[in-house]
Amino acid sequence: MMGVAVMGSGCSIRAIWILNNLDAVVFSRRFPVVEKRWRASCNAHNDDTDQLFSSLPTDSDLADAFLDRKHREGSARGFGIRKSNSSPGSDSWGLYTILILPLVEPRHLKAYARLCKRPDCGTAVGMDNAFSSLLLDLPSITGALLVAHAIGDIITGDTVEPEVIVSAAPSVGGLFDSLTGSIGISSRAKPVAPPVASSTPSGAAVPGSVNTDAPKIGSRPLDKDALRTFISSSMPFGTPLDLNYSNIVTMKANGFSTTDLPPADHKQPAWKPYLFKGKQRMLFTIHEIVHAALYDRDEIPDTISVSGQINCRADLEGLPDVSFPMSGLNKANLEVLSYHHCAQVSDQGNLCRWTPMKGFYQLSMVSEDKGAFLFKLHLMEGYKAPSTMEFCTVTMPFPRRRIVSLDGTPSVGTVSTSEHSVEWKIVTSGRGLTGKSIEVTFPGTVKFAPWQNQRLSSSRSSFGIIADEDSDNEADNASNMVNEEHLMEKINKDLPPVDLEEPFCWQAYNYAKVSFKLVGASVSGIAVDPKSVSIYPAVKAPVEFSIQCRWYLLMSSIISGHNQVTSGDYILWNTLVFWGQTIESCSRVAN
Amino acid sequence: MPGADVEWPSKPLTVQEWETLIDDFHNGVHRKWNSLDPLFDLLLSSLFRKEFPLSLKLQLLLFLDEFSLSFFSTHHHFHRLVDALRAVLHAPPDVAAPAFKEQFMVSATSILICASEEVAVEAQTENNLVELLLTVINRPNFGSDRQARGIACECLRELERWKPGLLSDVVGHLWSLCQNERTHASQCYLLLFTSVIHSIVTRKLSVSILNTSVPVVPFNAPQCVAGSGSVSGSDLGSGLKVKELRRAMAFLLEWPQVMTPLGMMEFVSMIIPVAVALELQPSMLKVQFFGMIHSYDPILCHVVLCMYLRFLDAFDGQEGELSRRLLLISRETQHYLVFRLLAIHWLLGFNRLVLGKAKPSLELCSTFYPSLFDPLALKALKLDLLVFVLRLKGGDSDELVDPVKLFEDGLVCVSSFKWLPPGSSETVVAFRTFHKFLIASSSHSDNDPSTTRNLLDSMIFRTLQGLLVNLMLESRRLVPVVSAFVDRLLSCQKHSWLGECLLQKFDGHLLPKVTMDYKLAYCFPIFDRIAENQTIPPRGLLELLTNFMIFLVENHGPDTGMKSWSHGSRALGICRTMLMHHHSSRLFLRLSHLLAFTCLYFPDLEVRDSSRIYLRMLVCIPGKKLKDILNLGDMILGISPSSHPTSFFNVQSPRPSQKFKTFKNLSSCIHLERVAPLLVKQFWSLSLSNLVLSTSKPAYLESIRDLDPPVEEKEFSDSADTQIIPETGRINQPQEPLRVMDSKVAEILNTLRKYFSYVPDFRYMPGLKVRISCSLRFESSNFRRMLGIDKTTTSLEEIDALPAIYATVLKFSSSAPYGSIPSYRIPFLLGEPHNKDPSSQNASLSIVPVGVENDSREEGKYRATVVIDLEPREPTPGIVDVHIETNAENGQIIEGQLKGITVGIEDMFLKAIVPSDIPEDEIPRYYFDLFNTLWEACGSSSSTGRETFQLKGGKGIAAISGTQSVKLLDIPATSLIQATERHLAHFVVGVSGEPLIDAIWEGGIIQNVIWEDASPDATSVTNHDTAPLCLTYNDEQYEKGAISNSRKRNLGCFHVLIFLPPRFHLLFQMEVGDVSTLVRIRTDHWPSLAYIDDYLEALYLS
Repeated sequence: MMGVAVMGSGCSIRAIWILNNLDAVVFSRRFPVVEKRWRASCNAHNDDTDQLFSSLPTDSDLADAFLDRKHREGSARGFGIRKSNSSPGSDSWGLYTILILPLVEPRHLKAYARLCKRPDCGTAVGMDNAFSSLLLDLPSITGALLVAHAIGDIITGDTVEPEVIVSAAPSVGGLFDSLTGSIGISSRAKPVAPPVASSTPSGAAVPGSVNTDAPKIGSRPLDKDALRTFISSSMPFGTPLDLNYSNIVTMKANGFSTTDLPPADHKQPAWKPYLFKGKQRMLFTIHEIVHAALYDRDEIPDTISVSGQINCRADLEGLPDVSFPMSGLNKANLEVLSYHHCAQVSDQGNLCRWTPMKGFYQLSMVSEDKGAFLFKLHLMEGYKAPSTMEFCTVTMPFPRRRIVSLDGTPSVGTVSTSEHSVEWKIVTSGRGLTGKSIEVTFPGTVKFAPWQNQRLSSSRSSFGIIADEDSDNEADNASNMVNEEHLMEKINKDLPPVDLEEPFCWQAYNYAKVSFKLVGASVSGIAVDPKSVSIYPAVKAPVEFSIQCRWYLLMSSIISGHNQVTSGDYILWNTLVFWGQTIESCSRVAN
Repeated sequence: MPGADVEWPSKPLTVQEWETLIDDFHNGVHRKWNSLDPLFDLLLSSLFRKEFPLSLKLQLLLFLDEFSLSFFSTHHHFHRLVDALRAVLHAPPDVAAPAFKEQFMVSATSILICASEEVAVEAQTENNLVELLLTVINRPNFGSDRQARGIACECLRELERWKPGLLSDVVGHLWSLCQNERTHASQCYLLLFTSVIHSIVTRKLSVSILNTSVPVVPFNAPQCVAGSGSVSGSDLGSGLKVKELRRAMAFLLEWPQVMTPLGMMEFVSMIIPVAVALELQPSMLKVQFFGMIHSYDPILCHVVLCMYLRFLDAFDGQEGELSRRLLLISRETQHYLVFRLLAIHWLLGFNRLVLGKAKPSLELCSTFYPSLFDPLALKALKLDLLVFVLRLKGGDSDELVDPVKLFEDGLVCVSSFKWLPPGSSETVVAFRTFHKFLIASSSHSDNDPSTTRNLLDSMIFRTLQGLLVNLMLESRRLVPVVSAFVDRLLSCQKHSWLGECLLQKFDGHLLPKVTMDYKLAYCFPIFDRIAENQTIPPRGLLELLTNFMIFLVENHGPDTGMKSWSHGSRALGICRTMLMHHHSSRLFLRLSHLLAFTCLYFPDLEVRDSSRIYLRMLVCIPGKKLKDILNLGDMILGISPSSHPTSFFNVQSPRPSQKFKTFKNLSSCIHLERVAPLLVKQFWSLSLSNLVLSTSKPAYLESIRDLDPPVEEKEFSDSADTQIIPETGRINQPQEPLRVMDSKVAEILNTLRKYFSYVPDFRYMPGLKVRISCSLRFESSNFRRMLGIDKTTTSLEEIDALPAIYATVLKFSSSAPYGSIPSYRIPFLLGEPHNKDPSSQNASLSIVPVGVENDSREEGKYRATVVIDLEPREPTPGIVDVHIETNAENGQIIEGQLKGITVGIEDMFLKAIVPSDIPEDEIPRYYFDLFNTLWEACGSSSSTGRETFQLKGGKGIAAISGTQSVKLLDIPATSLIQATERHLAHFVVGVSGEPLIDAIWEGGIIQNVIWEDASPDATSVTNHDTAPLCLTYNDEQYEKGAISNSRKRNLGCFHVLIFLPPRFHLLFQMEVGDVSTLVRIRTDHWPSLAYIDDYLEALYLS
């Protein structure tokens, strides 16, 4: 028939599969039109006789192939890092796996096949036909990843529109704690929507298959109808056009009425199918994420970076332009600005003026079952006028050890222990800390239930030769003084390898987190002056303004004098046993 | 319902049945179905059943779409489908929900596009579908069905994509629709219009896009589409109406902000080729779209990148900005990780493309460093970025960026603070980065110009070497990771030398620094790699291991039993690796010291044993075979040697019993042969014991008696087959010992007493031994055939291809009185090459002169020397039976009988024992005197017959009962002398007669004897010429006798003293004449006379 016009470099998807954690396909969708294009381009390229085209696998075939691959790759999940035999059970495949097969050109597939089958020791960076070049050449991969995320959100029910939180919940620290679980910061930093501990898809997936892990949410039945509707509307022919789930749902639910007139002189954007009607108002939200590393050492400067987002929710009738200046920006420190595609240009800030907390935390294992620790914290250091620290709590979690007893008294506040954590409330709710800085200390020892020295054969490393049953340790310890590093190593030995998405994944054994809430000012100093917001065509609308600030505070310090003596030149991270997080100071400025 | 038959072929399916059916199809069931016709009808009717829920109907539509190839077999099906669609579209919303209408449009379009490939579709059906869709979209800004219109636009766009130019006739209408549409569906209108423009441009259709004269409905496919496919676009018109198209473009470019990011992607992918075809200024696009790079949406960023790649020139100068922006996207913590990673990948790919244009500035490089809060995957990728920078810098001399600093600083984030446990992901990332840095400046492509030298000299390599050495010294738990790293390099053809260099470095720098303690075992994986590598002299490692063994031995205590065992075994494992990979000669000295030390002093028995085995292997088995045998153990067990150091214990695994096999025809390929062949080829044995069955063995046949009074001797008759004629008969022995002795007799007795007191009594002590040297060999080809190995190797000369036998044990037995014969062990023997077989076979059949066979050193390695130690009770010929037990390479045990070894009388010839108090220089004299004494004692007139002589140890006694005989040898003196020199030189104790002495003296072979030239007269030599000759029975013999008389005129006389174990003697007095020689023989063991005749004939006459 007709020649096939291979359209530049769009994004089309041949098929979607969703597998559950039993490795069964629970949902699949194929796009015959895209498949036909793929077949056509294969036929156009069959100059060399290799069999490029194969029809799509059936669901059961796919499940088998996937299972095979999953077992082959283990926990590394194709992150580009070779792990010869990841032990089964150590992987972190989620509840659902979403496979998206994007349309690529035959030459891409061939290039990838070559890449996979190279006989040598590994790809050198920046070579021809390297993976990076392929990704650059294939917007369909990018699109497929977006689709995967959108579908993942639907599966997990995480489809809330980034809604502005107008007023902060009073126990926001607790909320955050419960969400992040015992370890780790969620790598997924959706700016406003509540963070869900989840892992994101691999960056090194096969072209033609992108997988994403569903978040660790309870077993929620798959809403196939919702999925089907979403897919049919967002990509009726396999070419995605709009992945905004809430828009699609609203349209399906409400449809449009004949009275719903389009704007008179503008084209209504495709990403905004409905125009606002009702009480007009404007709401600005500033979200800040503060990454702070406090080293407590002269030779290493602390690093603090603030990133964030300003959302403007304009509940205005029609399609007016909204413009506003932002104050408090220091251009010299500004690194990066991104905009929603509806925005023309504006600015965003990044500057940290002060830190509400400084200090250090030491935990030193004096024996296998006993640790001595010391906290020393300065609160509200460099105090700034309008801020109030509403509460401040330090938690030392020991997820793998059972606490038997705790000995020690803090200079301020109260201490309570649970089976796996120690909680130190420095500033309690209702007795906010305003107008002064204080220093608090908390020395003590914590005793754990005896360590079960499991010599897990399964925990042997993939290089696994070393872990033989030599009784070196005993002998060395007997002849030597207690070798702390060795001890730590031993205690940490059975911890599972960390997730690649975790920045502080090592030493998960000993860390503490700090939660506090600050009210009164943004850290960056960025602000939107409600009076300067202008709307064209002019509308009178109230402007609201809120700030949210989330802290990732990393503190580290000396571990023990003993260690210092034995290795005078040890580096900072030797002693990294602490990371903390403090969160969310919110304030509301109502106009 | 229109088009649907009222007669259903079967009853309608329920909701559940449909769902099950759909699942079955997804799992591949439909392939079994031949005709889906009835199902099609059912399906179509189900779509219109009111009681069916909307979701099922949508599902059915998708189902029909996904499996359209199965359902649509005739054009009627399409016809009915389009009719059904029309009905649905016209139905009021309460009958057909908007979602149903939309999906129906999509599915019908999709089905038409896909199934038309297999089944011809009537043009009218197609037109009907397009017409229906056009009707839908032809109501811009209509409120309620805006979504449906948008979907219809998408359907039309798919159709247009399927048949480019399909909508070209109505493009004017589409444009005006576009201009008018203001709802959110405007994106779909814009995309539809763009797509038609795109096909017009790509097919170069000469249509006016302003022309609206052709009505939208009824729709007829334009000529360019309706015609046959062979009509190419260029034939269809005079050219593009560029001006109009540019206007259209200008219109389209006004509306990017209404699009969704993905819509934008579609849009840009279509307008780029249009812009190129219309020769639009790329800068126009740039102005319009470049701002999107600052968007939060990854798709929009990618759109900009695509555009950049398409218009490299137009975007000249923006590389820096793009790179920076991409890098910064990766730092936006709000993003999903995958998009942050993508940004880095884009940056890598992008930078590769713009390599020549803009090099990343130092400033930018500094931002490549992974930051503290980056997820590890991102850190890894950023490290790649650093490697990339290094690669860029590779050719440059400007050291804006110090590679080592780059390397070290970059690694801080994953390793430098502290080496985490080997299993940790950080460590994995660090080593991944090492690898990337290392191979950064040498790709795998063959035409890579970078040389080995470049790489070796590179600072990175040196830094990394040092880093790894220190790493292993500090954190031995990471050694396995290092060895895996080295393995990775070694396994790569291009970079294996890098791995080797690393190992060499380790050999030089790590080995001297490691501390000698129990933790050394952690380093064993790397030692194993070093041991495997032939480029590294094993010296250093062997020294270290030796010291380690000493350490283990010294530190062994009550608590270290297991440790000693484990460490010792693993150290031996490394030795084994060396044995497998190095030439034995290279290792021999140090390794044998190590092994010897271990098997002597190591506290653990098993280690000692293993060590002993290895030592023995090292000493006995040559190179290749040794490697094979060491390998074999692993192959059987399926364990690779390096990963499991314990596996070497299993070399000594129990042997499977089925491998035990006895071979009957073993002697056809395995040969045990005498080194020196017997002179007497024909073998016979005088077997006396059978003749005296009834009585106890006669005393005189007992070589040695106890000190009791001798029992009466008994008569016996000569054996019938004796060839020698006892011409003198038995010497009558006096019954009583002599009581009176003259001085001469006394002297004789004294001499003999002294002499016999040195002869060992084999009954109480080790007897005198007779050694027979043999050689063992086997034929490769026959051997293989016998074992059933059907391997016909062509490379005959290769030692590797030859079979070998291991741990061979030869066991000997004999019916002759040779005592117990110790078995003989041969650790290793190689088969003879095939081409040697024929000659060897010949050699085994005929006796080849001794010198010829032994001179070939080459053959030496195919032959093993075997010494058979006999301890004869009686000097008699016999046959030694040989039993072999050996192991083939495949572990098969071979057992069987070989051809016996013939023992001749000459094998019994020994030199007489010399008492220890005889000085060295008087030995000849002693021998000569002994000869004379024994000659006397064995003579007929002997007066010593009654005497008994105590043997060594004092328990046994021996008596001499002599016999004598003569033999005439008709050979010339020269021959005789030669033969004597060759075979009897050892036993000659005296030569008399000047001519004879002269003849012998020069040869120098017979030495250290008594030369009696004082009596030149030959007649004086003997007193026995009066003795009757036996050779006068007929004329001939008489003549010979006459001739023999002429000896008197001749030469001289040999005195030959031969000791026959256990205590007998053979004495020759050879009167040498010119043409014949008379040998007078005396012996105290008369049965040996039977063999001597043959022997002398073989010696002299053959």
